[in-house]
Amino acid sequence: MSLPEVDICIIGSGAGGAPMALELGRAGFKVVVLEKGPHYRPQDFVHDEILNSRRNFFMPLPWEEPHLLRKGAKGKYERSSAAWTANCVGGGTVHMSGFFYRLKPVDFRLRSTLGAVAGSTIADWPISYEDLAPFYDKAEQELGVSGQAVAHPFAEPRSAPYPLPPLDVHPVAGEIDKACKGMGWHSLPTARGIISRPYKGRAPCAYCALCGSYGCEMGAKSGTNASLIPAAVATGNVQVRPGCMARTVEVDKKGRARSVIYLDADGVTQEQPAKVIVVSCTAVESARLLLNSTSSRFASGLANGSGLVGKNLIFSSFGESQATFRLSKQAEKRPWLKDPGPFVNRSIQDFYLMPDERFGFRKGGTMGFMWAHPNPIHAATGLAGSGSSAVFGKELKDRMRAYRDSRILLFEVYGEFLPTPGSYVGVESAVKDKHGIPVAAITVERHPTDLVATRFLVERGEEVLLRLEPDELKRTTTAGETTILQHGTCRFGDDAATSVLDRNCRAHEVPNLYVVDGSFMPTGGSVPSTLTIAANSFRVASHLVRTLKQGVASGG
Amino acid sequence: MHPDAAKRLALGYARAPMPRARSPRQRLSRRSFIRRLTFLGGGVVLLGPLACKRSSEEAPKPATDPGPLGTAPGGQHHRTFSSFELAVVTAATERILPRDEDPGALDADVPVYIDRILQTPEMKPMRDDFLEGLAALERRSQRMFQKGFSAITPAQQDELLTLFKDSPPQSGEAHFLELLTVLTLEGFLGDPSYGGNKGKVGWRLMGFDAVGTIAMAPPEGYDGPKCLRECGVHK
Repeated sequence: MSLPEVDICIIGSGAGGAPMALELGRAGFKVVVLEKGPHYRPQDFVHDEILNSRRNFFMPLPWEEPHLLRKGAKGKYERSSAAWTANCVGGGTVHMSGFFYRLKPVDFRLRSTLGAVAGSTIADWPISYEDLAPFYDKAEQELGVSGQAVAHPFAEPRSAPYPLPPLDVHPVAGEIDKACKGMGWHSLPTARGIISRPYKGRAPCAYCALCGSYGCEMGAKSGTNASLIPAAVATGNVQVRPGCMARTVEVDKKGRARSVIYLDADGVTQEQPAKVIVVSCTAVESARLLLNSTSSRFASGLANGSGLVGKNLIFSSFGESQATFRLSKQAEKRPWLKDPGPFVNRSIQDFYLMPDERFGFRKGGTMGFMWAHPNPIHAATGLAGSGSSAVFGKELKDRMRAYRDSRILLFEVYGEFLPTPGSYVGVESAVKDKHGIPVAAITVERHPTDLVATRFLVERGEEVLLRLEPDELKRTTTAGETTILQHGTCRFGDDAATSVLDRNCRAHEVPNLYVVDGSFMPTGGSVPSTLTIAANSFRVASHLVRTLKQGVASGG
Repeated sequence: MHPDAAKRLALGYARAPMPRARSPRQRLSRRSFIRRLTFLGGGVVLLGPLACKRSSEEAPKPATDPGPLGTAPGGQHHRTFSSFELAVVTAATERILPRDEDPGALDADVPVYIDRILQTPEMKPMRDDFLEGLAALERRSQRMFQKGFSAITPAQQDELLTLFKDSPPQSGEAHFLELLTVLTLEGFLGDPSYGGNKGKVGWRLMGFDAVGTIAMAPPEGYDGPKCLRECGVHK
């Protein structure tokens, strides 16, 4: 049975879906937001590691809703919960750490800057940094971002200061500043999607150390659940339906998107017709939804006549090293080690783009410094190790006691992840989730240049850590991927033969279908992309509101 | 992204196989399921993508409470383990975290935690694996020492656990040892409302003092297992 038609149906309530809901609601359109996960309230966010970080509070279980993952097309699929972000109202912005960087102008024209890169499918964006900049301003204002812009060689232009002053930082930030200065590098304050002062009726950060991987019970973290979604609902035009899993997007005879078929919170199949359908379920899940939406007109998936839906999958290159300071040895010399301040908020971007190829790559990235997450079970399982090198008994307890005597400072790398023909998302019809819907199957084939660049960045970050004279320095990896940062599966462009979406993120093949999560990005940039996804969604919303109003005005 | 360096996928350790019908026994003996899910604050999730045949065909059934299976020495009723199994769990967890100058697994009520957490309906795959692993441990003990695991000496127990640990990465033995370690650490370091971490002895050992000081403690009377069962249900 079909529900009454609405103006807009948005699938997903995270960084992509929420700005659309807010702007269209403000403009007076009737909006329904379908969200597969629950709608948590601030009081649901308790500091319970087992609940939050180790079960299905945020992430689905791999035997209920798996992703299939393999390394290269010859690899064997594994079931995993990797590449999921939080399943709840607000999506990944609920459990994020909120590192709110902007892309830089070069990220919009990487193909022109680097030239052709053998083995990669990089492309320029059809828009420039200048096109997106006003919407970065808007996203920062609406969500609430705390930061301080400083001059440096790769600083992106901004028209105004951050809406909120930076969060207080731990004294180690000053030590990092000194170390960087000594090397002629720039230690930059990291902007955060966490409010440092009361803002739009929200309480500021309480500086508890349990931030990333937890929901914020203060509402200080600028997840869309705390900012945009309540504002959208307050317009009176937006209805959020939690627990609703989209199964397919249906089309009419003319090939226009007609409705969303979904399972509601009681498991009952519903059909929600809408004049415009907006997909924003993450790059992996949006590709899955479109590929599962087959019809006689779109036999290989909605808007997929080009065969490009799911192609050009991009994560973020990950590297990390950790410096351990033993309190018993160092606290006298460095009393500030015992300061409980949770935030370091320092980044290095001096190697964002290299002037030449002498180190084997040109597009580098960002190092972000932070204290190791204090989750004790997470820490202890790391100390126990795995496989035959694992330890138990006295050795494990000794390591746990040594941990008690430690502060661990680390940096993580956000490196360019070049798109390759070997990294893509498909659906595996033989493997279904608990709803009976075929699951996303992810294949990853890394470009060798990514690994060269990430290793270089890890080595530079280690130079900073070594200047702080830690008792130990341990490299975690130089060859990882951050799969919650995902992009590229419906890239945008001006040529329908080489892109899925047009420059306004509307499907070339389906005139009333939009995709507004990270899928549109033909390159991922070398920073976390949450703010960029939100900014782009505000940009698309502005276009869509204008288009719909013109349509109404012209009687169309 | 999250400071925990978690949630990255370490492609390349092919552990969890594609689903394929096989009996539970084969499953345990042939494959290891636990994996480092590297997500969020989590790091290792217990959860093995055991996967196999557990999606649409076999939706988790609401657990029916059969009542307590027995009573532990501390007076707590246990529900997953028989008294015999509980003795093996108690002995094994105490070897993972033995009491020395600091409290050990038993002091923290780790076996109580494991007994309770394996009652979570979504944890059924793990419960099956854990019980099978326990049986395998007991069988091996009988074969090697002609005595049950809880009756052999601590040195013999360590020898046996080391044997499990050093088994091939995809073996049921290695899987069980990792499951045992992870569940022991959860019981030692989790919120006390789950039944373990008695008197917060685990947090003290790790120097973890954020909850209740700089970070708000769960509200009075907080029931983690209940939230786990009902998370997101606001009716």
